[in-house]
Amino acid sequence: MSANDHDKVWPTGLTLKEAEEVHSYLIDGTRVFGAIALLAHILVAATTPWLG
Amino acid sequence: MADFRAYVIGNLARMAPRYLPFADVATPDLPLARLLRLSLFQISVGMSLVLLVGTLNRVMIVELKLSAALVGVMLALPLVFAPLRALMGYRSDVHRSALGWRRVPFIWKGTMLQFGGFAIMPFALLVLSGYGEAVDAPFWLGPLGAAIAFLLVGAGAHMVQTVGLALATDLVPEADQPRVVGLMYVTLLAGMIGSALIFGALLEDYTPGRLIRVVQGAAVATIVLNVVAIWKQEPRDRRRAADTTPRPEFAEAWSGLMRVPGTLRLLALVALGTAGYGMADVLLEPYGGEVLGMSVAQTTRLTAVMAAGGLIGIALAARVLGRGGIPLRLAALGALIGLPGFGAIILASFGTGTGLFILAVLLVGIGAGIFGHATLTATMRAAPRAQIGLALGAWGAVQATAAGLAVALAGILRDLIRALPDPAHGAEGPYVAVFAIELILLLVALATALPLMREATRRRAAQG
Repeated sequence: MSANDHDKVWPTGLTLKEAEEVHSYLIDGTRVFGAIALLAHILVAATTPWLG
Repeated sequence: MADFRAYVIGNLARMAPRYLPFADVATPDLPLARLLRLSLFQISVGMSLVLLVGTLNRVMIVELKLSAALVGVMLALPLVFAPLRALMGYRSDVHRSALGWRRVPFIWKGTMLQFGGFAIMPFALLVLSGYGEAVDAPFWLGPLGAAIAFLLVGAGAHMVQTVGLALATDLVPEADQPRVVGLMYVTLLAGMIGSALIFGALLEDYTPGRLIRVVQGAAVATIVLNVVAIWKQEPRDRRRAADTTPRPEFAEAWSGLMRVPGTLRLLALVALGTAGYGMADVLLEPYGGEVLGMSVAQTTRLTAVMAAGGLIGIALAARVLGRGGIPLRLAALGALIGLPGFGAIILASFGTGTGLFILAVLLVGIGAGIFGHATLTATMRAAPRAQIGLALGAWGAVQATAAGLAVALAGILRDLIRALPDPAHGAEGPYVAVFAIELILLLVALATALPLMREATRRRAAQG
């Protein structure tokens, strides 16, 4: 294991492809949670409106 | 400065594996503690089952005063995804990830869907019931929100269970599979019983705020349980990650699985047996109350008797199969036990007393437990190692669809027969008719199992 390994990105020691995959989970998760949060806010606003 | 950098990186690289969710090595024998931890995903699945079918079913009708028909439609929605289990299993079989995982990504996605569904469900239900200002909300908002919530939970739970079972099968050698199946069933039952008690106690004094807290608490519990369950379970497979051979299409993989002798027959057996046992699920309690004159407390205990029977059946099956028993022979036995069970349940309406009835319910529970365990083990055994996800998906698709349809059909049939203008039948008529159908289904299941059983016994004899 060396810090100068071309294929690996530090400090995680994952390869570029692996790091990109981990990142894609983060992106997907953010999208899903964002959509869920938006829907939840719309539904809550319908029962107890907080603007106007 | 450069030294410092090298020092930090070196330390991080050494420490990191401890904080990363990968299994160290694929050990041939899995310690029981790790297996128990993996089975936690079944608790989250059991929890969502109970929350939907039990707790929210009651809350929607009693507290939120929604119509029974609307509630029925909402609760049936997750069933839409049951046949897709085969596809989910297949996708996880052929999944190619740079990390060398194929099950964890799907369990994680399923967990997110289930979490999202629970997160919006209480608000959707409140809008649906016209709580607060929601009376002025557009009429489609409530049903749409609730439908999305139920679909998300259903899809998530199906995905988590299918792929989770596939992961469990991946991790253990064939000899240990009966033990794992038993463990998975027991945790599912434990999760259902435990969460039924907890949800029941928490929602004793219903308020809208409490509904939100309980359902969203279930959402958080889902994430926690599932992450703990899959943490460091699946080893990374670098060879699979680097593999570039084309993956088989779903149709190709499916027809490959169907070419394995006996697969179709095994799936038919699962459908018949599950439907045979499943129709009684919703009818035993009203039957005991309406026809046999049992009190509410007594009929509630019936569910406990049935669950206890299921546990006994699972334990028996795990024991016999762990000692090298033939799964299909046991599956036939499971279907067989139901025959005297339902016979005695029907007899109970002729005034043989509730003692015999309770005993019969216990027998039905035992039969259902043995049947479920044996058919799942048979599916695991028959599946080619590379197609375990698909095979378990097919089993789950057939099992969940048959169980859902059986419950729906049982209620519809009872109400239809009850509505018949014929005065000849008493209060027991509609129930006895459904129980008789279950007897027939189990007989057909037995007939389906016999050739399979003979084949399996012959193969076993040829081997040994």
